[in-house]
Amino acid sequence: MIDLAFRNITRQRSRTFLTILGIVIGIAAIVALGSIAAGIDDTVQKSLELVAGRIIVVESDENTEGLGALLLGMNSELTDEHVNSISIVAGVKDTVPMVMHFKSFEGFFSSSEQIVGMEPDKTEYFKGEKIGIYEGRDMEEGDSGVALIGKTIAEVYNLEPGDYYEVGDTDFEIIGIIEKTGSTDIDMGVIVPIEDLQEALDIDTYQMIYVIPDDITATELVAEDIEDEVDDVATITGTEITRQASEMVGAISFFTIGIGAVAAFVGGLGVMNTMIMAVIERRREIGVMKAIGATNNKVLIQFLTESAMISMIGGGVGCALGVFASLGITTVAMGMITTVATWPLLFFAFIFALSLGIVGGIYPAWKAAKLDPVDALRYE
Amino acid sequence: MTYVIETRGVRKIYNPGKTSEVIALDNINLKIKSGDMVAIMGASGSGKTTLLDVIGCLLKPSSGKVFIDGVETEKLDEDGLAEVRGKKIGFVFQQYNLVHSFTAMENVAFAIRLLGKPKDEAEKKAKNLLELVGLGKRIDHRPSELSGGEQQRVAIARALANNPKIILGDELTGNLDMKTSKIILQLIKELNRKHGYTVIVVTHDPKVGNVCNKIIKIQDGKIIGGEK
Ligand SMILES: Nc1ncnc2c1ncn2[C@@H]1O[C@H](COP(=O)(O)OP(=O)(O)O)[C@@H](O)[C@H]1O
Ligand SMILES: [Mg+2]
Repeated sequence: MIDLAFRNITRQRSRTFLTILGIVIGIAAIVALGSIAAGIDDTVQKSLELVAGRIIVVESDENTEGLGALLLGMNSELTDEHVNSISIVAGVKDTVPMVMHFKSFEGFFSSSEQIVGMEPDKTEYFKGEKIGIYEGRDMEEGDSGVALIGKTIAEVYNLEPGDYYEVGDTDFEIIGIIEKTGSTDIDMGVIVPIEDLQEALDIDTYQMIYVIPDDITATELVAEDIEDEVDDVATITGTEITRQASEMVGAISFFTIGIGAVAAFVGGLGVMNTMIMAVIERRREIGVMKAIGATNNKVLIQFLTESAMISMIGGGVGCALGVFASLGITTVAMGMITTVATWPLLFFAFIFALSLGIVGGIYPAWKAAKLDPVDALRYE
Repeated sequence: MTYVIETRGVRKIYNPGKTSEVIALDNINLKIKSGDMVAIMGASGSGKTTLLDVIGCLLKPSSGKVFIDGVETEKLDEDGLAEVRGKKIGFVFQQYNLVHSFTAMENVAFAIRLLGKPKDEAEKKAKNLLELVGLGKRIDHRPSELSGGEQQRVAIARALANNPKIILGDELTGNLDMKTSKIILQLIKELNRKHGYTVIVVTHDPKVGNVCNKIIKIQDGKIIGGEK
C-alpha cells in the first residue's frame, strides 16, 4: 500500500515535487516563525523572573497604566525626595533608583544595548540574585568609572575585563562580565554606577525606582500604599507586567504561526489541485480498479494515502528546514535573537501538514471513489 | 441445472424519459454453462458492451435479473458487486488499460494486491500468470516497451489475477492485427479448454466467433439468434 502510493505519486515527478515544495515552505515558515516566537517568549519569561516580586515606580501620568506606563515612564524625572518618601512606606525593604539609557547600534539586525545606572552595591536587584559573574568581579560600594557587561555584548564586541566601554564621552572600565541569563535585558545590558551615568548623561533625576517589598506576597498591597502615600508616582508590579507581557507574546505567537499556517494552507490547496489532476488523469485506471474488484473505499483510501504521503513528506522536510532556518537565524543574529524549536511545535507543524493532505485529498479521493466505472472506461 | 451466468428479461435503458432515451438492451435471456466459450456478435451500437457491463456487474440493468454463479446480483450492495467482480470475473478490454508507469508484473500484481494479498505473494503469482500467457521473459517491461499483442497478454494475465470463473472480453482483438489477433484468440481458447474458464467475448469480427462453441447474435438490443 505504502510502496504503491509512493509509486503513484512519483509518476509525475516534477508536479509532485512542486506540490511538496508548497507544503515544505508553509511548514518551514510555521516552524521558523514559531520558534522565533517561542524564543521571544523564552526571553520575556527570563526577563520577567527578574521583576517577580518587584514594584517599579515611575512618575505618574493619568493616561497610562502597566507596560505603557513603564515605557512612557522612561521620561520620568524622579528625585531623592521620591526615594525618601517611598522608603518610609510600610513594608518597603529597599529602594533602588535607576537611570536607563539605550545605545542603539546597527549590526546585521539593528538593536540596542541597555545601560543601567544603579547604586554599585545593589546590582543583584537588577541582574537577579542567582546570576553570578562569569569573569572578573561584581560591583561594590564605592566603585566608580566601572561597568559590568552582559555576556552577549562581551561576545559581540570581544570585550574582557580591563577593556573600556563608552557611554556618551565617558569611558567605563569593564570589571566583570555577567553570566549568560537568556534575558536580553541582562545579556545585552551594561550596569554602571548611577552617579557616573547621571554625569555622563548630564541629568540629576531617576527614571524609575525599583522597590523591594519585605514580603513578596504583599507586593500588590505595598504598591497600592506607595501610590496612596507618595505624590505623583505610579507603580507597576511584576505580576502585572508578567500578565501583560504574556498577552503580548501570545499575540506575537498567534500572528507569526498564523502567517505560517496561511502559507501552509496555500500548500494544502496545491495538494488538492494535484490530486484532482491525478484523479482526472487516472480516470481509466480507476475504472479498471473497480472492474477488477476494488471497492469504493479501497479507491478512496488509495488516493488519500497518496495525498497524505505528499503532505507528510512536505511536513517532514518542512520541519527539518524550519529547524535549520531557526538555528541559522540564531547564528546570524549572534545570539541577539534566540529561537526555540520545541517538540510540541514540530509535532503541531507535522500534524498540520498531515491534516492539510487529508483535508485536501478527501474531495479528490471521494470523486475517484464515486466514479462510475463504465463512464471511466468509455472515457477517451 | 445452474448456470454460471444467467440473465432473465434484462432491459437497459439509457437516459430514461428523456429525448435521448436509448433502449440498449431489451429482454435479454441468457443461460451460459460453466466452461462455455461464447461470442456475442452484432453491429456497432447493437448493445454488446452494455450487455457485457451488465454481466460483469459494472452496470445495473433497468429491469430483469442477473445471476452470477447462482448469486442474484440485484440483492448485492456496491461492495458485494465489487466482490463478485473481483473474485468471479476477469475483464479484458479493447484498449489494454494498463498502468503505463508499472511493469508487466506490477500491473498484474496490482490487481492481486487490490484484494488484500501481500506484495510477495502477489508478485510471485503475477510471474506465474505472465508465464502462463507466454510473457515469462517480459515481466519487467513497461507497456510502452511491449507490442499490442503483448500488452493484451498482460491484460489477460491481470484478468486471471484473482482466480475468476469467468473471463469477459470486449473487442479484445479490436486493436490488433490479424496475426496477433489469432494468437490472442488461441490463448483465450486454451485458457477455456485447459483451465476451464468460462469465456464471453464481444465482437463484430466473425473470425472471433469461429473459435467459440456458441454464438449469440444481437441487434438493436435484442437477441436475434444463436448458433452452434
Ligand atoms: N452511457 C450511455 N448513455 C447513453 N447512451 C449510451 C450509453 N452507452 C451506450 N449508449 C448507447 O447504447 C447503445 C449500445 O451501446 P453499446 O453497448 O456500446 O454498443 P456496442 O458495444 O455494441 O457498440 C448505443 O446506441 C449507444 O449509443
Ligand atoms: Mg462496444
